[in-house]
Amino acid sequence: MEFSEFIQTPKVEDAFLEVENGTVPVTACLTGHHLILYSHNGENKEYWILHKNVDSVEKRYSVEKNLLVLKCKDFTQHQITIPTADDATNIANSIETLSSLNNPALQYPFFHRPKFTFDEDGYDLFCTEHRFASLSKMSDQWRISNINLHFSVCNSYPSQVIVPKDISNEMIVKSAKFRYGGRFPILSYLHTNGRVVMRCGQPLTGQNQKRCKEDEKLINIVLGSTHRGYILDTRTTQAALQARSKGGGFETEFNYPQWRKFHNSLQKYSIQQESFVRIVEACQDRNASSDRWQSKLESSNWLSHVKDVLSAACLVAQCVDREGASVLVHGSEGTDSTLLVTSLTQVILDPYCRTIRGFLCLIDMEWVQAGHPFADRCFHGAQSNQRTRSEGPTFTLFLDCVHQLLQQFPLSFEFSALLLIHLHRHAYASGFGTFLCNNEMERRKFKVRTKTVSLWSYLLSVNVLPMFLNPLYQTRPGVIWPSVAPQSLKLWDGLFLKDIDPSPEVQRIVSESISYMEDLQNQISELTKEISLLEREEETTSPLLQNGQNQAIDCQNSA
Amino acid sequence: MPECIELTPMDNSKSPESTQKADTMVESTLTTKSDGVPLYPGEVVCVALLKDVTYLCPYMGALTGRLVVTNYKLYFYQGTTEQYTRCIVEVPLCTISRIEKVGGVTTSSRNPDGRNPYGLEMFCKDIRVLRFVMRQENRQRKTIHDKLQELSFPASNKLPFFACLFKEEYAEDKNGWTTYSAKTEYQRLGMPIEGWRYTKHNSKYELCDTYPHLLVVPAAASDDDLKQVAQFRSRGRIPVLSWIHPESQATITRCAQPLVGISGKKSRDDERYIQLILDANPHAHKLLIFDARPQANAVANVARGGGYEKADVYTSSELFFCDIHNIHVMRESLRKLQDACLLAHPNDDKHWLSNLEQTQWLHHSKVILAAATRIADRIESGKASVLVHCSDGWDRTAQLTSLSMIMLDSYYRTLEGFMVLIEKEWLSFGHKFAQRIGHGDKNHSDSERSPVFLQFIDCVWQITQQFPTAFEFNEQFLILILDHLYSCLYGTFLYNSERERKKEDLRKKTKSLWSLVMSLRDDYLNALYVSAYQNHVLLPIAAVRHLDFWAGYYARWNPKMKMQEPIQERHKELLKIRDHLRKKVEELERQLAAKQNASSPALTIPQDAAALSV
Repeated sequence: MEFSEFIQTPKVEDAFLEVENGTVPVTACLTGHHLILYSHNGENKEYWILHKNVDSVEKRYSVEKNLLVLKCKDFTQHQITIPTADDATNIANSIETLSSLNNPALQYPFFHRPKFTFDEDGYDLFCTEHRFASLSKMSDQWRISNINLHFSVCNSYPSQVIVPKDISNEMIVKSAKFRYGGRFPILSYLHTNGRVVMRCGQPLTGQNQKRCKEDEKLINIVLGSTHRGYILDTRTTQAALQARSKGGGFETEFNYPQWRKFHNSLQKYSIQQESFVRIVEACQDRNASSDRWQSKLESSNWLSHVKDVLSAACLVAQCVDREGASVLVHGSEGTDSTLLVTSLTQVILDPYCRTIRGFLCLIDMEWVQAGHPFADRCFHGAQSNQRTRSEGPTFTLFLDCVHQLLQQFPLSFEFSALLLIHLHRHAYASGFGTFLCNNEMERRKFKVRTKTVSLWSYLLSVNVLPMFLNPLYQTRPGVIWPSVAPQSLKLWDGLFLKDIDPSPEVQRIVSESISYMEDLQNQISELTKEISLLEREEETTSPLLQNGQNQAIDCQNSA
Repeated sequence: MPECIELTPMDNSKSPESTQKADTMVESTLTTKSDGVPLYPGEVVCVALLKDVTYLCPYMGALTGRLVVTNYKLYFYQGTTEQYTRCIVEVPLCTISRIEKVGGVTTSSRNPDGRNPYGLEMFCKDIRVLRFVMRQENRQRKTIHDKLQELSFPASNKLPFFACLFKEEYAEDKNGWTTYSAKTEYQRLGMPIEGWRYTKHNSKYELCDTYPHLLVVPAAASDDDLKQVAQFRSRGRIPVLSWIHPESQATITRCAQPLVGISGKKSRDDERYIQLILDANPHAHKLLIFDARPQANAVANVARGGGYEKADVYTSSELFFCDIHNIHVMRESLRKLQDACLLAHPNDDKHWLSNLEQTQWLHHSKVILAAATRIADRIESGKASVLVHCSDGWDRTAQLTSLSMIMLDSYYRTLEGFMVLIEKEWLSFGHKFAQRIGHGDKNHSDSERSPVFLQFIDCVWQITQQFPTAFEFNEQFLILILDHLYSCLYGTFLYNSERERKKEDLRKKTKSLWSLVMSLRDDYLNALYVSAYQNHVLLPIAAVRHLDFWAGYYARWNPKMKMQEPIQERHKELLKIRDHLRKKVEELERQLAAKQNASSPALTIPQDAAALSV
């Protein structure tokens, strides 16, 4: 298949792009992955708009002009005037088609040859073996299982997973048959006190309340004979009961006596998507009078999802850290709400997840490798009118929750909010392969690892990384307990309302101030060196100045 | 969740002397110390009620501890002398606006859970509602209640404000009463300026008793003209200069409404005077009059003898209505905000945003900011002169002039400049603080009370949120001002006008809040301040979506709402380190220079060392 099939008008002269202060004359060119706009007003600037990033193309034709409004998934907007209506329609149609090609092999990352140098390949950075190596120092109760090497037990799990040491592969296979999508219980997080968070899909008990001894054994063995644990079902009791009639279900107290179960009320991704659409609509609607802004914000329900997810994660964190109990988390499929809760719990509990490397590791292990269906959930954004039913803003919701934590704990994160905004953008449209496909199985099929570049390689490269650092960061051990009071949760301006966001400037000033202090520090050592050099010279000539030398040393000590 | 239950606002005054034993229920005889209770110089314990008092914290539930009433504050704490004492509630008595006996015989249906324990309930001006439960025997409650009634409302009880008893000593060079001098400020603005002159006509406040002693008026207007104009302006508040643009000579002037009345009176003197203000600005063709009120209110005022400048009479001016509502609407809005903040019902969590919207508080802030931004913009980019008034010219007018001055002039965004701004636009021009706040007055439902000044500070905070690097002061400074707006610890905000303050001799009898600020200057500095913004005019976006609920102020009594990490502290720490390093570099450079001078001339100074100097 050739991209040119989809490109009806490859080039248009005399178009205009609206920029901050007026319009720029441009030539518009369509390629397989980009709309490229070359400006002619002397500066010869190029604007590259990735098709995949375009969520919707709005045609506003009038007698005076044919305006195309490209609404992007990262909430930017481009307005382009095209001389003829035919060309405008052709361009609009081409972009719409090219932006919703769903064959992974045609995606931009397979064609993108990034021009930066990197020392580490992001695809090799975070793997189950590394993870296991570090956690085996804390506990000897776990092992790596290769049972899923060919994705035959669970097609959405990675090839290697961490399971209890004393559970055989045969038992795992049986447990997998009892769990939705074959997602048998695996280790998600091991806390410093030895308690764990595990995750899985819902048990397939059905109406007859079937049981599976192997599944019971698999999770009971984590508790030993004395401890009790908690099962967090992210659905409401009612939703869980309803799931039974479709073959799903939940663990009954009778069959899992060591576990106490509680239900949460996280909404399904499709409901979250509706909120996402509403909040983006409210934020993008710049013309409307700002009356009833808070009502609009409230009725979108976005912040109440944020609150629900944060509360659920706090609850799990509390069980693990305060009560010393292990927790098993699942919802229906175990690929959305479940991951939201387990990953946020780790951000709350584990200081490592608040470093850049640790955070990317968390996303790689708990989202990408854990089989969150990025390709489906992020296929269209909030402003598209051709949505399939599988879109969901789950990952963006996770980023928003982390952003709330970052707001409340501005000193505890090594990265700044800018990283979160970039992650949102790359999850929806990217030149890197990290978020391609729905799971590891698909990624292997399309050879993502060898044919594309990892986003992590880019983010961690020496020239890029400093952009995302939080200058105020101090390494702080321990748990961070956020407030989920409604007054503490704020709309994420930096993502949703791009027009005023002073935080980058604040960050710049703090960084400057810190680097200025480093300069001073260097000057001090330079000067001290100078002085002691002089003093050594003097010592040979006049020993009377001994006193001055002591003074200089004092200063050095007090620095 | 965080374990800290410290509910007191940060009080940065020096830690007062402390600790001696007090027995149960003593009407103390001027002892200056009490166990565990920090006291200010001049502060004495009046009622010390040990143990058995329970504070029903709206967020943390019931807490049992000790209650002490001094002549300045109510203090509730846990712990004993020897051990660490933890302050749970500290509220200056003047901050209390209403005290009620609840439970027992005097029944009240306020308690939501149906039970109604015996005790006291206090409504505070800083939007706290405090409820204490005490035992019914011993007449404890009566003693406390009577004492609180007496001391909380000194003005009603013909008692002195605590500000007059407060004996704190501040260094001479930190005397806050010298912060503002009208003359110095007008000189800073460039006076003498062509077209304007000082008038001492109000030096004994006979022209206008709510105006300051020194005024700047159009040079072409004689003192006699002023007298005539005063006749035609409500309360004699004639148009006078507030601010002048250093280059374009565009001005902000302020006044009260013209006394047009039903008969449609005119004043040639007033018309001529308005023309003179316009003439003083060589760039302007029309004087822009911003009437802060909604048009309907301005029209309604005609029936009461007031009015506005009609276009056919004031041909050289253009009138805009800013649609800002009156003090009663704002009072009601704050009351709703107070209710919303309590989150009293379980469902309030879900409806926080729509509840917030219904208070209209942010909407009112938006309208005010929009008008102020418009004024600033017309002055800066249109080089126009602006006259601002409302009805009396001491509430909404002060909000608009001071906010647009903050946007236009970076001086008012410094710590000193902001104090000057408050002294000038609010205190000297007669914003009636005593009436609006009800200092020491027991009539809690007085319809003259209104949070006009709070709203101004809130708007300033909103601007700091949009321009976090443009202000030299920080959020703590704004909160400090608001806390002492109510506390009556300092004389700064007492009484209604410069005339009254002078008559009461407050400069002698009380301390200025600015003395405290200047003594603890570092605590109120914004680490993010960059002077690069110095010549910038700030035009904030006045849209509700870009305004925030000021949780750091309104929700600070909820311990869960506290900023979880001390980012301010970290900023301050960085500033300190920076200053330390700077000094160090300077010192070392001096040393090096001294050494180089002393040592043999054969040693040349390395080029680098010279280039490094800051």
